[in-house]
Amino acid sequence: MKRLENQDGTGGLAALLTIAYRNIWRNGRRTALCVTAIAIAVFFNIFMQAWIVGMLRSIEEVVRTYETGHVNVVSSLFENDKEYYPVQYPVADGRSADELVSRIEAIPGVKAALPRVTAYATLFDSTVKHALLWGIDPDRERRVNLFNLTDRNDGMSRGRYPRMGTNECAIGFEMARKTGLGIGDRIPLKTVSAQFSDKYWNPEIVGIFRFDYRRFDEDVIIVPIDRLSRILVLGGGTQQLFVYAEDPGRTSAIRSEVAGVVGAGNVVRAWTDNYWVAIMKQSTFLFYVIFGVFQVVASFLIINTVLMVIHERIKEIGMMGALGMTRREIVLVFFFEAVYLSVIGAAAGCLVGGLASWIGSLFPIDLNTFTGGGMKDMPISSTIFLAFSPGILAQGFAFGVAVSAACTLIPSLRSAFIEPVEALRR
Amino acid sequence: MKRMIVSALAAFILAASARAQDPSAAELLARVDSNEVYSSISYKGRMTIEYQGKRYVKTFEAFARGGSDSYVEFLNPEDKGTKYLKTEGRLYVYSPDSEEVMLISGHLLKESMMGSDLSYEDTIDNEKLSARYVPTLAGKETLEGREAWVLDLAARKKTESYPRQKLWVDVVTGDLLRFELYALSGSKLKEYVLLKAQAIGGRRFPVEFEMRDLLRKGSRTVFLMSDVVLDARVPDSVFSLRNLER
Repeated sequence: MKRLENQDGTGGLAALLTIAYRNIWRNGRRTALCVTAIAIAVFFNIFMQAWIVGMLRSIEEVVRTYETGHVNVVSSLFENDKEYYPVQYPVADGRSADELVSRIEAIPGVKAALPRVTAYATLFDSTVKHALLWGIDPDRERRVNLFNLTDRNDGMSRGRYPRMGTNECAIGFEMARKTGLGIGDRIPLKTVSAQFSDKYWNPEIVGIFRFDYRRFDEDVIIVPIDRLSRILVLGGGTQQLFVYAEDPGRTSAIRSEVAGVVGAGNVVRAWTDNYWVAIMKQSTFLFYVIFGVFQVVASFLIINTVLMVIHERIKEIGMMGALGMTRREIVLVFFFEAVYLSVIGAAAGCLVGGLASWIGSLFPIDLNTFTGGGMKDMPISSTIFLAFSPGILAQGFAFGVAVSAACTLIPSLRSAFIEPVEALRR
Repeated sequence: MKRMIVSALAAFILAASARAQDPSAAELLARVDSNEVYSSISYKGRMTIEYQGKRYVKTFEAFARGGSDSYVEFLNPEDKGTKYLKTEGRLYVYSPDSEEVMLISGHLLKESMMGSDLSYEDTIDNEKLSARYVPTLAGKETLEGREAWVLDLAARKKTESYPRQKLWVDVVTGDLLRFELYALSGSKLKEYVLLKAQAIGGRRFPVEFEMRDLLRKGSRTVFLMSDVVLDARVPDSVFSLRNLER
């Protein structure tokens, strides 16, 4: 074995790598099977990561756009009954929405403070009996938010947004389909004011929107906030404030300053505190465990392959030992063979997984196809883009190689304990 | 032995005669109807709604004629201009926010009226109970020191909003002291308690009562009527759509 080694031993390692590399092509079918198994595991790892990260991003975006902004402000009393969207508990009771907006927008790093009012409505229609009135300032909102998270636009598919001060509204395309209403029709409804009075309203539909957010497309009627506030007798106050930061990284600092502006009796939250965002982040660890299990299962194929190779080449191992190869060198040859298989398989998995996630990042996947609209209560867009990033690819590759290679150590070690004389006798 | 038989017979005859003095369920219900059903009414109303720790007061003026026509106009600042008209079996509302007359129908009739514990259906019913329910006398109970007959009512029609009602009728005055409204499943939906009845035009009429919608936790509405005029002529123009839009 002296000819394999330089004095520092590096030439020897190169020779072992060469031997291992040549060995993997001695049985092409077996190598292909092994590589395919690892490739599938790595592909699954990358694709699922791209899916999970894409889903998480979608949830975060929906939460920021529709549910909280970067910082959300409501009164404590509203918070207690928030599922009913009570309108009788305004933010900083007694102070006007305009005053709060101007003070919050003066905080450095705040892009916009948008008042919003959400209230339940009973429709006169017998097919769709209930809806959510969403009072916003359409012009200001559109300067800050892209409501359609798939097409990255304002989401108005027909007509236009209602104008402030008018008796106009826009409804989601799902609601339009169910009620049979269109642009120019009126949608009679009843809502309950802050003074607990029945308020009847009959706004004209001027737009049909499609946000690709099922809950909104199906349940929401967009109305001008000033008109809705007047009907609900909010008296200049607002039910909720959505604060958007120039740099989302400063959310925490802005949250503290906003809390100072609105004072006690109000709940000021960052979007990261949202229930769904927190749940999804906590679940990430679980997803990694699932990926790991897949990888280990795929690695069993490599373990099996290496064991078979050792069994098939037992005489060869004896010969190698008889010719002077040390146990360590024999183990390394088999280990390198396994590492080669892992690297080739992981690279193939990365290529296919990367290609799939790249395509998925350009062309969104329609979740309704899988769920039939059943994820309505979850703040997630109806279509999600897969996340394509070198980070995910690198992680998938490293994960694939590391787990697969680690799994081959034990069978490789077996080769070291085969006595040359015993091996040659077989 | 002979004395024992005579005593037992005497007791039986006494009990039977006392029983014979009890009014029948139908008579009791007819008494309730005669007190509370009118040919016409006008009054000023005040609803005090307590819900979710807040108190809301609504004032209004109301007119009704028979079981078919009624008109209510709200006067408190928050609801000023909101008017309801029931005529020809239809309920219309005029809201100053929509500036138009809208027809309330179907599922909307079951909704709370102006945030109170009464639904639109509760407020527009003026048909005699005896025409809608079959009564059964369920006994006698004491309610806050007043003796009351207990009546169980079963709806004659399946379409009735409350398939079962339980009534407590004052033995002396015939006042409807309390009633409970039940769903088909048997669960209690609403409770009514009489707070004050007045003698108006030769009959006992409830002028203050409390209503609780048990599906709304911690909610109650106290309904107070003043300036009540029964069975006086109300002009036809009051019950017109034109009056609603005026």
